Amino acid sequence: MTAHEQLEHIALLAEVDDLTGRLTRWVDDCPAWQTAHRARALMKRLLERVHTLRFRLETPLVVATFGGTGTGKSSLVNALVGREVTTVGRERPTTTTPVLLVHPDIEPEVLELDLTAFDVKRIDAPVLRDIVVIDCPDPDTSETSATGSNLAILREIVPHCDVLLYTSTQQKYKNARVIDELIDVASGCRLVFVQTHAELDSDIRDDWKNFLSSNYEVPEMFFVDSVKALQEQRSDHRPSGDFGRLLDLLSSQLGAARRVEIRRANLLDLLQEALAHCRADYDANEPKVQELIETLEQQRIRLKESLTGQLCDELLVNRTLWERRLLSSVTDMWGFSPFSAVLRLYNGLGAFIASFTFFRARTSAQMALIGAVQGARWVKSRSKENEAESTLERLSTFGITDQQLQESRLVISGHIHSAGIDYAMSDDRRDLSQLRRRAAALEGEFLGDAGRAVDEVIEELAAASGGWLTRVCYECLFLAYLVFLLGRIGHNFFWSSFLGPIVNGSGSHEPLLEINFYLPALIFLVIWSAFLVTLFTWGLRRGLTSRIQKFAQSMAETRLQHGLFPNLEETCRHVVRDNHQLTTLLDQTTSFRRYIADPSVGFLGGRREERTDD
Amino acid sequence: MNSGSESIRFHDIAAATRRLYDVVQALQLKAEFLRPAALDGQEWYELLRQKLVPQLGEDPWLVAAVVGGTNIGKSVTFNHLAGTCASATSPLASGTKHPVCLVPMGFSDRHDLQAVFPDFALHEWTAAGAALEESDEHKLYWQTSPNLPSTLLVLDTPDIDSDARVNWVRADAVRRCADVLIAVLTQQKYNDAAVKEFFRKAGAEEKAVLVVFNQCLLPEDEQYWPVWLNTFCSETGIKPDAVYLAPADRRAAEALELPFYERPWPVPSDWGADSVGVDLSPRNLNQDLSRLKFREIRIRTLRGSLKQVLDDRDGVPQHLKQLNLASEELATASKRLSSDAVLKIRDWPSPPNASFVEEIRIWWKTRQQGWAKKINSFYDTLGTGITWPFKMARNAIQGEAVPPIEKYREAEWSAILTTVEELFDKLQWMAESGNRMIKPQVEAVLQASTRTQLIKTLKRHHTSIDFDAELKNMISVEMASFSEDSPQLFEFYRQLHNVSAAVRPMTSVVLFSLGMGPAGEAVAPLVAGAAANAVVHVVADVAGGTTAAVAGEAALSTVAGQGSGMLQAWFHRLHTVFTQRRVDWLTNLIREELLGNLPEQMQAAANLPSSSEYQDVTNAVNQLSELLEQVTETSESVHGANADLMISDVNSDSVTDRISLEDNAEPLRSQRNATQESTES
Repeated sequence: MTAHEQLEHIALLAEVDDLTGRLTRWVDDCPAWQTAHRARALMKRLLERVHTLRFRLETPLVVATFGGTGTGKSSLVNALVGREVTTVGRERPTTTTPVLLVHPDIEPEVLELDLTAFDVKRIDAPVLRDIVVIDCPDPDTSETSATGSNLAILREIVPHCDVLLYTSTQQKYKNARVIDELIDVASGCRLVFVQTHAELDSDIRDDWKNFLSSNYEVPEMFFVDSVKALQEQRSDHRPSGDFGRLLDLLSSQLGAARRVEIRRANLLDLLQEALAHCRADYDANEPKVQELIETLEQQRIRLKESLTGQLCDELLVNRTLWERRLLSSVTDMWGFSPFSAVLRLYNGLGAFIASFTFFRARTSAQMALIGAVQGARWVKSRSKENEAESTLERLSTFGITDQQLQESRLVISGHIHSAGIDYAMSDDRRDLSQLRRRAAALEGEFLGDAGRAVDEVIEELAAASGGWLTRVCYECLFLAYLVFLLGRIGHNFFWSSFLGPIVNGSGSHEPLLEINFYLPALIFLVIWSAFLVTLFTWGLRRGLTSRIQKFAQSMAETRLQHGLFPNLEETCRHVVRDNHQLTTLLDQTTSFRRYIADPSVGFLGGRREERTDD
Repeated sequence: MNSGSESIRFHDIAAATRRLYDVVQALQLKAEFLRPAALDGQEWYELLRQKLVPQLGEDPWLVAAVVGGTNIGKSVTFNHLAGTCASATSPLASGTKHPVCLVPMGFSDRHDLQAVFPDFALHEWTAAGAALEESDEHKLYWQTSPNLPSTLLVLDTPDIDSDARVNWVRADAVRRCADVLIAVLTQQKYNDAAVKEFFRKAGAEEKAVLVVFNQCLLPEDEQYWPVWLNTFCSETGIKPDAVYLAPADRRAAEALELPFYERPWPVPSDWGADSVGVDLSPRNLNQDLSRLKFREIRIRTLRGSLKQVLDDRDGVPQHLKQLNLASEELATASKRLSSDAVLKIRDWPSPPNASFVEEIRIWWKTRQQGWAKKINSFYDTLGTGITWPFKMARNAIQGEAVPPIEKYREAEWSAILTTVEELFDKLQWMAESGNRMIKPQVEAVLQASTRTQLIKTLKRHHTSIDFDAELKNMISVEMASFSEDSPQLFEFYRQLHNVSAAVRPMTSVVLFSLGMGPAGEAVAPLVAGAAANAVVHVVADVAGGTTAAVAGEAALSTVAGQGSGMLQAWFHRLHTVFTQRRVDWLTNLIREELLGNLPEQMQAAANLPSSSEYQDVTNAVNQLSELLEQVTETSESVHGANADLMISDVNSDSVTDRISLEDNAEPLRSQRNATQESTES
């Protein structure tokens, strides 16, 4: 082996290692899904085989015969080694104990076969330099695969084989039992196709190839006369025709150089088939999981709709709260001015009174309205009291009822059952507390979003109705009264009661204004400011309903991050991820199998990637 | 020998067979729940359908079929029989896809060929290649042949071992209706599993078998064929009527000149390789076939098929036994399940006493007359007038009060959901621990879509219930029964305001019951007679047991004027009755919407062996085996040769026809002996 070849081998080995590594990681990361568990069980067994295979790289390839009874398996083996080493007969079945042919230089123990089950023969034949040959019993005389039957023996041996010499005849090449068995044994083995009985039968290789080509790669078929070949070798002739070629290829093409390649091709075959099997299983069961995901999503939407609906209703009902928020935001915007001072005063009074109701604020809508800062303070103080109580209370006043929780649990558990996901809904089916907590958390999350949205709406409304023109109008109107009042008081104070008489010299001092004046003036001030405030707030309220509806719309478009069953959702996501990973692995294995370890090179055939029959 | 009685017996057998065929199908329908093996494909049923029903009761003819593995020369052999290339041959395997049939002249006028081959679409033969074409339909190409005796049909069949499994089905169908099989074997295939399986069935049906070892290497194989045949016979239980060897000679085969050498079987003790020479002249298969003892073979195969149908291990009795076993298995499983199939509803809400009281007041009012009524209505109006402002104030402050019955509706929906949830748990448990018959049925109920659907339906029904009417209805019924000559009525009415909270009733729902086990016992005393067969039940017992209810009723009837005690007991009863009505409603709905007639099906399946359909089949089998035994006895006691009287007198034409045929044709075996003698001399 040249250095370059060695390097190439190492590189290929590394790639296989990489693939198996990825497979192992995939196997270890298993979602709680029955289909996934099944796939893992299969892959684990296979990976074990991969590991043993890595140590078998140095042992010679195992070549075994495979074919119906009477198709000349033993004759072929005899002809290959050039002497009679295994019984040939015309009674069916002839071979019942498998014959293992090993070169004297090779220790049969390294093959890891149960040697007691074989008739071991050490033969010094040139063809056996690099390979060992097993003459197997047939698969088609046993009606059952009971232990001791030919079929059972065959099935014992085949997993240890690397190359199968598949013999058939004109009579047997479509034998259903042999074909069925071939489907099982062909994965993980290279195949060599041999039509025997050339001395008697017609050449049916074209039809045979045609027949096999839907499921197998059939590069070449040999049409041999084993009896003649054995005679030729006995008389020290080189076997002629197809047999000669077959013998050459077996002797030259299965050497140490190609061992790794063939074994790796077999391994990839196995991996690819197993993955394809898993893929089919996933494909069959994945729609149910999709259905579950769909249902979870639907429930989330329904939940959010009901939350939004409730919130809007309550927001519309609690107009006073709106007003307060709007007023404070307008006054914040306006800074200090006479009218805004009035508004502040009004709002402050209102807030003072309302602060009692804050602590009685029970609905979540009120919460959202009070706003993030006050709300947080409120929530904190409340949560110090009794969390469970507050949760329950809020729930009872808000959208998510126990019935809703129960309904969704019922529906979801049905889907879990159909999808085959391992997920315990709850130990005690009557216990809703966990779900309630989830619902409360959900609601909290939802209200957080809603609170922020409400803040925005208020800012917007305040900006719309607190424009400078409005402000100037209101300020002027308010100031007009103040000016008038001050004018009258000033006139009385400075002029008519003091300066006027002095200047005019009339001497008749008007008396200073008394309480009789101030009282009504104050009353009218209050009335005037109340009128203005009312007018202003009325203006604020205009368009509130349409704003709230718009707000509801925008809330409906947002998405709840979590649903009622966060763990289950996580499991579903895991399943989806797992599914993608499987697809990737399968694709990788398939392309690996196709390009790096092309199995149909030379005279060796094998199973096709996609079976057309399944 | 009274041939009249014999023919009557024959008619009896034909009628009994047909009846068996009918009742077996009826039973299959009935036993659907037990998931019995499909009748189609079961050997005995196919025999009944393909052989016995079409052939019994008809005048006798003989069907001979060439059968064997793929690519071993079936069609070649057939063509030799036909004397012409009637069926195309090919060096490639599984060439023949459809049977080809040679029909004697005039046969198709006398008989309905379609009835003879019920599974095949008949096509008149046009070209030899037609049978090679693949199609999903089972076709049969037929051709009249002048060389055949008037009662012999000869068929070429598809193979029995290739990967085209539809060929096996066709070959099996031909095998069943055949009387004579020309078994083509080769040294490669005589011990193949598929071949053995096929011929084992033929052997059990007592077909006449002519073995042809094709592609022999002569003379080397002379020493092997007895071994081959021995293995073949011991594996399949076949006793060949004749054995032929044909050499591996492709050219002769193509030229229809393949020689068939007859060999003795069983092999005489003095047989050796050197005795081969004596009989080297090839035989004419067609002639040999014509010389068969038609009647004997015909009777033998019909009887053989009947025996197979009635066979304890492979026939109807086995089918019945399996049904019985499945039924028992189901009964055991459902007994086990029913013991756990009780759903206990603990917290079904109590309807509000206030609503009861109100309804009772209303009911009372309708029964009052004269001045009492006036006074009452006056006070009512007054009361309403006085409380009106308070009510308004309360409504303004707290919002409109929810009527108590609406609260009950909500609580009940909660309880319904809990019940349904538990029900599904229970069903899931059943699906997991049930057996193969119960599981799929329950699994179907457990589908996710079913749950969503069920909740929707329940909700729709539940919101449409008028609880007020429900309550009114119940109160009027109950009160009517209570008020019948009851002197304590007024006392009761006076105490109405004293009613305290009622005890919450506990209810049990039995999902599945076969009338046995704990669940069955719970149901039995409560539902009488026929209703015990209905399987979803409601068993309501008030917390504290039924005794409390009984004591309550006693208190009602005896302890007059005991005031609140009586009242309490009466309300207790009202609650129980109301709850029972509600749960009844729920279970009926669940039953309609979810379980369907699953429980009844289960019960019927568990009791299958006592059904009339099962009894019919048992009777038919017994009758048929009795008849068969009588026939066998008579035929054995009289003489083997006379047994054919069983089917005589059916068609006098064909009888004479057949007899004339037999007159010319000595039995095959003696003929051969004669030849031997002549060569020896």
